[in-house]
Amino acid sequence: MNQSLTIEAANRRFGWFMSAPSLALLFAVILFPVFWALFTSVHDYTLITPNFDNFTGAANYVEAVNTPEFRHSLLLTTMFVAGVVAIEFVLGFIVALMLNSVERFKPIYYGILLCPLLMNPVIVGLIWRMFLHPSLGIVNYLLSVAGVEPVNWLGSTKVAIWTIIMVDIWHQVSFMIVLLLAGLSALPKEPYEAARVDGAGTIRAFLHITLPLMGPVIMVTLLIRLIFAVKTYDLVYIMTRGGPGTSTDFISYFIYRTAFVSLNIGEASAMSAILLSLILLLTGYLYRYMRTLT
Amino acid sequence: MASITLKNMNKIYANGVSAVREVSLDIRDGEFMILLGPSGCGKSTTLRMIAGLETITSGELLIGERRVNDVDPAERDIAIVFQNYALYPHMTVADNLGFGLKLRGVAREEIDRRRDRIAAMLGIEPLLARKPSQLSGGQRQRVALGRALVREPQAFLLDEPLSNLDAKLRATMRTELIKLHRNLGTTIVHVTHDQVEAMTMGERICIMKDGEIIQVGAPMDVYRNPTNTFVAGFLASPPMNLLEGRLDASSNGAIDAVIGDARLQIPASLAAGFQTHHGKAVIIGLRPEDFHLSASAARHAVELIVVAITTEVLGPEVILVANLAHARGPEVQIRMPRDFLAKPDEAVKLYFDLSQIQIFDATTTRALPRQASK
Amino acid sequence: MLRQLLLGIALAAGMSAQAAAETVTILMEGVPDTEYVKTLVPEFTKETGIEVNLEVVNYAEMHTKLVPQLVASKGSYSAIVVDFYWVGEFTKAGWLLPLDERIAADKFDTSVYMPKMMDLVGKVDGVTYMLPFYNYAMGMLYRKDLLADEKNKTDFKSKYGTDLGVPKTWDEYLKQVEFFTKDGMHGVVNQGLRPDPIAMEWSNYFFANGGEYHTDDWKPTLNNEAGIKAVEQYTTNVNKYGPLGSASFSFDEAFNVMAQGKAYSYITYNFFRAGIDDPTKSSVVGKVEIMPVPGPTADKGGSLNGAWGWAIPKSSPNPDAAWAFLKWVESHETAKKRALQGGSPTRTDVFDDPDVNAKYAYSQALKNMLLTSHNFPVFTYTPQLVEVLGRELSLAVAGEKKPAEALATVEVEMTELAKKDGKLK
Repeated sequence: MNQSLTIEAANRRFGWFMSAPSLALLFAVILFPVFWALFTSVHDYTLITPNFDNFTGAANYVEAVNTPEFRHSLLLTTMFVAGVVAIEFVLGFIVALMLNSVERFKPIYYGILLCPLLMNPVIVGLIWRMFLHPSLGIVNYLLSVAGVEPVNWLGSTKVAIWTIIMVDIWHQVSFMIVLLLAGLSALPKEPYEAARVDGAGTIRAFLHITLPLMGPVIMVTLLIRLIFAVKTYDLVYIMTRGGPGTSTDFISYFIYRTAFVSLNIGEASAMSAILLSLILLLTGYLYRYMRTLT
Repeated sequence: MASITLKNMNKIYANGVSAVREVSLDIRDGEFMILLGPSGCGKSTTLRMIAGLETITSGELLIGERRVNDVDPAERDIAIVFQNYALYPHMTVADNLGFGLKLRGVAREEIDRRRDRIAAMLGIEPLLARKPSQLSGGQRQRVALGRALVREPQAFLLDEPLSNLDAKLRATMRTELIKLHRNLGTTIVHVTHDQVEAMTMGERICIMKDGEIIQVGAPMDVYRNPTNTFVAGFLASPPMNLLEGRLDASSNGAIDAVIGDARLQIPASLAAGFQTHHGKAVIIGLRPEDFHLSASAARHAVELIVVAITTEVLGPEVILVANLAHARGPEVQIRMPRDFLAKPDEAVKLYFDLSQIQIFDATTTRALPRQASK
Repeated sequence: MLRQLLLGIALAAGMSAQAAAETVTILMEGVPDTEYVKTLVPEFTKETGIEVNLEVVNYAEMHTKLVPQLVASKGSYSAIVVDFYWVGEFTKAGWLLPLDERIAADKFDTSVYMPKMMDLVGKVDGVTYMLPFYNYAMGMLYRKDLLADEKNKTDFKSKYGTDLGVPKTWDEYLKQVEFFTKDGMHGVVNQGLRPDPIAMEWSNYFFANGGEYHTDDWKPTLNNEAGIKAVEQYTTNVNKYGPLGSASFSFDEAFNVMAQGKAYSYITYNFFRAGIDDPTKSSVVGKVEIMPVPGPTADKGGSLNGAWGWAIPKSSPNPDAAWAFLKWVESHETAKKRALQGGSPTRTDVFDDPDVNAKYAYSQALKNMLLTSHNFPVFTYTPQLVEVLGRELSLAVAGEKKPAEALATVEVEMTELAKKDGKLK
């Protein structure tokens, strides 16, 4: 009896030893920066005076929340994320459903669809900025051939945000397609035949069988895409610098400027902490909801 | 309740493979029809064509008097039980049962009523709140059956529903299905590769091979009069012993069936249909149960020596595997009573009942009739 | 004897090997002046044996790339170029090495630099931290062929009652902008992108209306008649007289519109002047000239001054090699060679050099621009001020804020920043 306990204890210790290097790496790369940022957020730490001499408590947080531009960025980002995730989900699902029933040339379709996703977002921003130039770009040219007035894609406060949304969709929709397609191809085929005999047409089979069975995959896909969408930075930086006005001033770009233009790392850390807690809340909520589905 | 008529149905796939060839079958209203055959013979494909899950390349399908070639599966008023049950994994048993009716817009109370009745009939009431993943194989199969029953269709199509069950459960379910059929009287088309199911459950069996129908008939008819060696060797276990041999003319119009060194003289009265094959190569069929220890057990006994190889003691009976006539003769399997004993290489004297002998043409494998054809 | 010789050779080889192995790495912006330096760098390597590695990036990335290298104790850049509006920040943070001792030791003549340049990118509070590299005062590119056209002259006279010519005052210029916006042509093209393009361009409008950013003791003076008029005029130019989308044009896009001949004028950096005569980029070669931005009256200009300076960071891995490079690149010969390629000078001896003037007739115009230009407020938080100014101007142009509101916000933030820096008591 005693012997088996010591063997078990020895096994457990051995387990810790083996995972120690990876855990240490994980700690260093992920946890330590998070803790450092939190620590910084309660001090007055700027790049001009990079020291922890001034403990300011919640001052940075209060300052951030009281800054109307910060609140505006949060709201704008929320709307952007909701729009982008919803549209990409619907489009992605439609394409995934179509691809699911394709027999031939599937690899070719895959390849074409994946190309935008593989491109560096900076490149995506640059080429679309070129395409969308109001007088020299190809998009307005094609529109003019069709008799449509040239559109002020990046220079109008009303249009710019939709332009960014569109470019993001072009860039990222294949992410949804790939994940949803993987989920669809893992679905069992037999219930569909049973449903056919039971009288379910395409739409009802989709609603009653595909959607419920795809529940977990959909949740995970949405969650991942959502978290990445909040981080959208490159497109804004390349295409509009947050303008015109403040119509595309997303939160990641805003925090970046607070850190590297205003050199106020303390406040930027506080903003990042606020953003992180919002995302964690949302993730927690979605995760709980997902659990109730299965 | 309705009859199902198949007229020259064909199924040819896009790549040119022909799965079902010129299948014609009249299934009577209320009949329990078995489609029997080895894997790949086209029985499942035929069933799926009846269901509407496969398109019919050519030919006609009538359910009742209605031509249903182009009718949606849901409109054919048939219910199908799949081999893998195909239950809706995310729905409870209750929802699984009620789904088809819900889609058809049947009233809630009616759905509940039917569901509860069927659940009681199949003994799955305690399972109604569970999901398929929480059920055993047998329970899932009953739910699949229940889903079909609840629809109260004109005909049931069962696609190897018992294949995934263990032997004991299979035996129980066989009886259940038979009782069900007796109670409901609905037409049932049952696909299987298991000849025990076919023999015990079917009113008629339809044997298929390579996409074609080989023989259709009541189980005992098919058993007694197999059309060819395939049918003969397919039914019963152990199957009929099929041995290469020859027919020689003998005295007084009798025919000698020669198998290796064994010579069985068939009297003229029993050999009328075999006269056409004097001197020709044939396949001689000897059923395991037609070998007897005493001459009186056979209608027309002929003595036969076999040399034992081994005995398989099954419990209710013993299977004797032996060589015919001498140790190097062809191998046969013989059904012996349960207390039969024999040592390897022991010679055993048996009596074969010639009235049961089957002769098949060696080239066409077709059975030669006992009576002469007119 | 032989032993000494061998020793000597070995030592020399060792030392030169060390020097040859040495590399000077500098982060620079992707502008014409950098290109000119690049072409001359092999001469430096031949002379000193020191390799030069120029890392060239977009303006927008420079500040973020520099800061981590400056904060670290040993960074990757031997020398850097500093944009005028980082000067306050970099010196306050103590990231630059003072150069006075080296200048004195090597008898480097800094008197040749134009005083305005030394003030902007040379000395800070009496200490020399940088050597001015090139200036980018802003001027106005205008289509001289359109001004010379007889029909235009008559039409203009009949509409406005005055002659059509090189604008002497800002108001005269604005009339020309209105006049030339017709038949697919635009009177002006603006660079309205946040934050630098719009803030820099608008500063010219502000100075042209007689405005100044702050008093001597750093009280902001934006929200006044000059400021409001400047914002209104800018807004009108962008929305009414400029091409579609100029509210988010960066310098390249705006330059392209000018270079394709679609605009009469473009207020921009002086180094774009050379590009407009490059047939591979421009379709209006020989038709465009540059002038200082006109001011409220004929004797006052409205141009915004700007410049870059060479500096050695405290975190430099090899400050001596860096200084060797600085001495060479800012020597009279090298500076002249750069100017002859089209570079933008910062020293009187180059501005007045006959060869330079012979090649570029507009050299004196550029010198005047420099002399009459105005400085943007330079202090520790200049980048942040540019950010705020850019944002508010962009909102005003988009019509989401009234000019007075926008300027009031800028003043509030500028006051805060100036106080934080100790400039405003």
